[in-house]
Amino acid sequence: MIIPVRCFTCGKVIGDKWEDFAQRVKEGDDAGKVLDDLGLTRYCCRRMLLSHVEIIDEIIKFYEVGRKQQIGPP
Amino acid sequence: MKMEILERDENSLRLRIGGTNAAFMNALRRIILSEVPSMAVDDVVIIENSSTIQDEFLAHRIGLMPLKTDLDTYNLPENCICKSEFGCNLCRASLILDVEAEDHTITVYSGEFKSENPATIPVSGKIPIVKLAPEQKVRLEAYARLGKGEDHARWQPVSMCAYKFRPIVKVDSKHCDLCGACVEICPKNVLLKAGNKVEIKNSDNCTLCQDCMDICKKTPKAVEVVWDENSFIFSLESTGALSPERILSEALNILDGKLKDFLEQFAGKENEK
Repeated sequence: MIIPVRCFTCGKVIGDKWEDFAQRVKEGDDAGKVLDDLGLTRYCCRRMLLSHVEIIDEIIKFYEVGRKQQIGPP
Repeated sequence: MKMEILERDENSLRLRIGGTNAAFMNALRRIILSEVPSMAVDDVVIIENSSTIQDEFLAHRIGLMPLKTDLDTYNLPENCICKSEFGCNLCRASLILDVEAEDHTITVYSGEFKSENPATIPVSGKIPIVKLAPEQKVRLEAYARLGKGEDHARWQPVSMCAYKFRPIVKVDSKHCDLCGACVEICPKNVLLKAGNKVEIKNSDNCTLCQDCMDICKKTPKAVEVVWDENSFIFSLESTGALSPERILSEALNILDGKLKDFLEQFAGKENEK
């Protein structure tokens, strides 16, 4: 749904690193290198970001569209 | 006991401790994990939540964000003089979140919490808490208190706390035929081929996997990994709630308190006789 606040296994805070990670990977950086830069050394924390899909962005679209129809011309 | 700091940065600490035993190291580790108090949100009163995330999901996320902890000001609720279920200024801090997305979808970050105590704020202000579509609103009040890791992982002051025996890596250059297989296989690059011999660098990084010994074709093995059972590599990684030094000193105080209590009880029983 939305990026978890902490790593499921070790409890390190990873939520604050997601946007940086997603942005840089989108720009074409190597994901492994970005994870190293963010200081995620254990594989439990690395998989948190690597395997994450931000589904909330897809869900929120329905609420954005719903609102446009509501306030649009009848 | 001999101690040496191997690494130290903002949130982590690595020590080499000699002349002690596993029992002491494990006591220290377990106290850090389960008994050193830190601050986290415990109660959340949701006044309004029209986001796509449910109330309990939201409260769970808020609970998990680490808060900067001032151990000298706050008391553990069970030890506080107020004896109140709701807490007082000495054992509770409230944080308020009041956000609304107006025209655009927004992300609400941990930094948007307004705390009644400016010292009790989230360690990182960049943790996404929730995303709001236009016109969605979240209003809530969160109550933070000191707690222990044994009650819930959110009160654990560390994200990693572990020790291992100090590795000792030996290379017998007389037997070594310089095949380089051990250098290749070492996951931590402890071995290094330099000229006509295999050198050892940072043997403290060795994970004791012994892959180098397994791959060595020579008999007896030219490379040997052993460990010293009285000396340890102790690493600790704080969540940011407390500094690594404070976590260690607090853990030692707790251990000290336990031993003193034991001694007092024992002395009391002796006197009864």
